[in-house]
Amino acid sequence: MGWLGYLTAGLYLLASLAAGAGFTLARPVMLRAAIAVLAAGAVAHGAMFALMHSAQPAPPLTDLPSALSFMAWVGTLAFLALAWRARLTGLVALVAPMSCLGVAAAVFSTPAATALPGEAPGAGSLPHAHVLLASAGLALLGLAGLAGLSFLVEHRRLKSKRPLAGVASWPSLEALDRAGAFAVAAGFPLLTIGVVTGSLWERATSGAFFSGNPHETFCLIAWAIYGVLAAVRFGARQPAVRCALTSIAGFAFLGLAVLGVGFFA
Amino acid sequence: MNHRTAPLDLRERLAVDEPGPVLRKLVAGAEVDEAVLISTCNRVEVVVLTRELEAARLRLHSLFRRDLAPDGVGLGEPDLESCLYEYQNGDAMRHVLRVASSLDSMVVGEPQILGQAKDAYRAAVECGAAGPILGRLFQHAFATAKRVRSETRIAERPVSVARVAVDLAAQIFESFAEKRALLVGAGEMIELALRALRSAGLESISIANRTAERAARLAVQFGATAHGQDELPALLADADVVLTSIGGHEPWLTRAVAERALRSRRGRPMFVIDIGVPRNADPAIDALGDVYRYDLDDLAAIANENAEERRQEQARAEVIVEAEQQRFDGWFAALRAVPTIRQLRARVEAIRAGEVDKVLPRLALDDAARDAIDALTRAIVNKILHAPLSRLREEAEREEGIAHLETTRLLFALDAPDGDDGTGGDDPERA
Repeated sequence: MGWLGYLTAGLYLLASLAAGAGFTLARPVMLRAAIAVLAAGAVAHGAMFALMHSAQPAPPLTDLPSALSFMAWVGTLAFLALAWRARLTGLVALVAPMSCLGVAAAVFSTPAATALPGEAPGAGSLPHAHVLLASAGLALLGLAGLAGLSFLVEHRRLKSKRPLAGVASWPSLEALDRAGAFAVAAGFPLLTIGVVTGSLWERATSGAFFSGNPHETFCLIAWAIYGVLAAVRFGARQPAVRCALTSIAGFAFLGLAVLGVGFFA
Repeated sequence: MNHRTAPLDLRERLAVDEPGPVLRKLVAGAEVDEAVLISTCNRVEVVVLTRELEAARLRLHSLFRRDLAPDGVGLGEPDLESCLYEYQNGDAMRHVLRVASSLDSMVVGEPQILGQAKDAYRAAVECGAAGPILGRLFQHAFATAKRVRSETRIAERPVSVARVAVDLAAQIFESFAEKRALLVGAGEMIELALRALRSAGLESISIANRTAERAARLAVQFGATAHGQDELPALLADADVVLTSIGGHEPWLTRAVAERALRSRRGRPMFVIDIGVPRNADPAIDALGDVYRYDLDDLAAIANENAEERRQEQARAEVIVEAEQQRFDGWFAALRAVPTIRQLRARVEAIRAGEVDKVLPRLALDDAARDAIDALTRAIVNKILHAPLSRLREEAEREEGIAHLETTRLLFALDAPDGDDGTGGDDPERA
C-alpha cells in the first residue's frame, strides 16, 4: 500500500473528524470541507490503485483487506457523485468513517491472516473480476444501507416531532430515498455480475459452478434475497420507510454472507 | 423610534419611502454634518454626525414633529418624550452596529434589516447626506453584521410558525420545484404560510375554501388555483404539502381520508401542516408511515426552542458588537489627532521650505543638485516626524492621548498666530 495508503487513510480520517465536528457543532461549512477532504482522499486512493496496478506483476487484489479498500473507494466515489447531484452533505458524517475503516483495514492488516481462497491455475482474470465487481456492488449496496439508516433516523425524529431540521445540512428524506434507490439500481447488477464471475471462477477451480461451501451458499441466498428486494422496490413502488428497512436488512445479510462467512470460513 | 417605543400606527405615519429630500433638507442646515435615515416597518431612526448637539437635537425633534409626516402632523409633545430615544458617541455607534446585526430587531436575527440598512445608507450617499464618518460607521456596521451572522447561529433556525413549517418541509422534500401544495382555508395564517412556501420555491398551489371568493382572491394574488371544499379528496391525492386552517369541531382530514389519498400516491410522502384551532387533521394519521403531521402546538414548540437558541446566541453576538464598537471608537477617536498632525506637518514643511529657499541662492548649484537638496531635506523631515506622528495617532485612540495632543500643540506652538511660531525666525540661537 505504501505511503499513498497512509495518505489516503489520513485524509479519510481527517474527513471523518471534520464531518463529526461539523455535525456535532451544526456547521455546514465544516461538512462541506469534510467532503472536499474526502474527495482528496478518493484521488489519493485512486492513485494508490493505479500504482498497484502498474506493478509487475500486478497484485490480484483478491485478499479481503484489498477488497475492503476497493469497496471503500467505490463507496466514496459513489457518495461524491451522489452528493454532487443531490443535497446529501450531512451523509458525509457516516460515509467518511466507513471509508476510513475500509482503507485502514488494508493499510494495517497482515494479508496472511485474512486471505480469501487462493487462485487456481487457468482461472485467468476471473478472481480479479469477481472480487472487484462484487466489492463494487457491495460498496453501493452498503451506501444504500447507510442512506436507509439515515432515512429511518430522520423519519423517526420527524414522526416524534423532534426533527433534525436545520442541524448541519442533514439530507432530506426524499434525497436519502433517491440516493438509496440509485445505489441499489447500480449496486445490484454489479453484484450479480460478481456472483456470475464467482461461479465461473469456481468452475475453473473445481469443475463445478457451485461447490456448496458456506461462502457460496450464503452469497447465493443473499443475492436472491436482494434480488427479491430490488424487484419489489422498483417493480411495485413501496413506501420509503419499507425501502429503507429492506436496504438495511439486505445489506446486513449480504455483508454477513460475503465478509463474515468468507472471513471466518 | 422603534417597535419598542412607538405603536405601529405612529411608525406607519412617519415611515419614509423616499429619504432623499428629507436628508438633503437636514444636512442643508448648519446643525447636522452628515445623516442617514433608516425607515422600516419596525423603526424610523436618524443617524447624524454633529458638532452642535443641542441644535441638532432641536432640529431632529422638529423633523419628527413635522417633516417626516406627509401631512405635516407628526409626533405631539408627549410622544416626543415617550417614543423617541437618543444615543450619543459610543452608544450611538453601538446602536447602529446592533441594528445592522439584527440584535435590535423585533425578531432577533431576522435577515431583512441588514438589506434595509444598506438601502438606507445607499440613499444617503446618493443624496450627499452621508460623508466619510458615517460612511465608515455603516461599512463597519455591515462588516459587523456579517461577522455576527457567520460566527454565531443567531439566524440559523426559524422562529416563526410559517418558516418552521417550510424548514420542516425541506427536511422531507429535496426540492419544492415540482411539489404540489394544497391550502385548505384562506385566513391570515394561511396567507402567511403561503408567502413562506412561495418564497421557498413552491410553485404549484391549490387553495380550497368554503368561501370561494376569498380563495379566488388569494389564488389570483399568489398565482394559485381556487377550488371548493368538495374537491378536497381529489386534490389531497396529488398534494405533497397540505396546509389546513379552517373552522369546525371535527377534523376533516381523518385517517380514512388520508389512507384513501395515500393509496394513489404510491409511497410518496405527504407533509400535513395543521394550523387550525381546533385541529383539522386527526392525530391518528400519525400512524401512517408516509404522513408527517405537525399541528400548531408542534410548530410553536419548535419555534420557541429556536427562539431560545437565538437568545443564547445573542449574548455571543453582543460580545462581537462590543468589540467592533471599541474598534470603531478607536478609529473615531484617532480622528482627533488629524488637525494637530496636519498643522504640525504644515509648520515643519514651512520651516524646511523657508530654510532651503534661503540657502540655495547662496550656493552655485545646477538644477539637479538643487533637487537633490530639496529631496534630502524632505526625507530628513519625514523620517524625523514619522515615529512621533504614528505614536500621536495611536495615543489619540485613548482618552489619555488628548494630553499628548495638547503637549504637542504647546511644544510646536500650533495654536500661536501666524508668524509667531516660536521657531525664532532667522536667529539660530533662539531656534
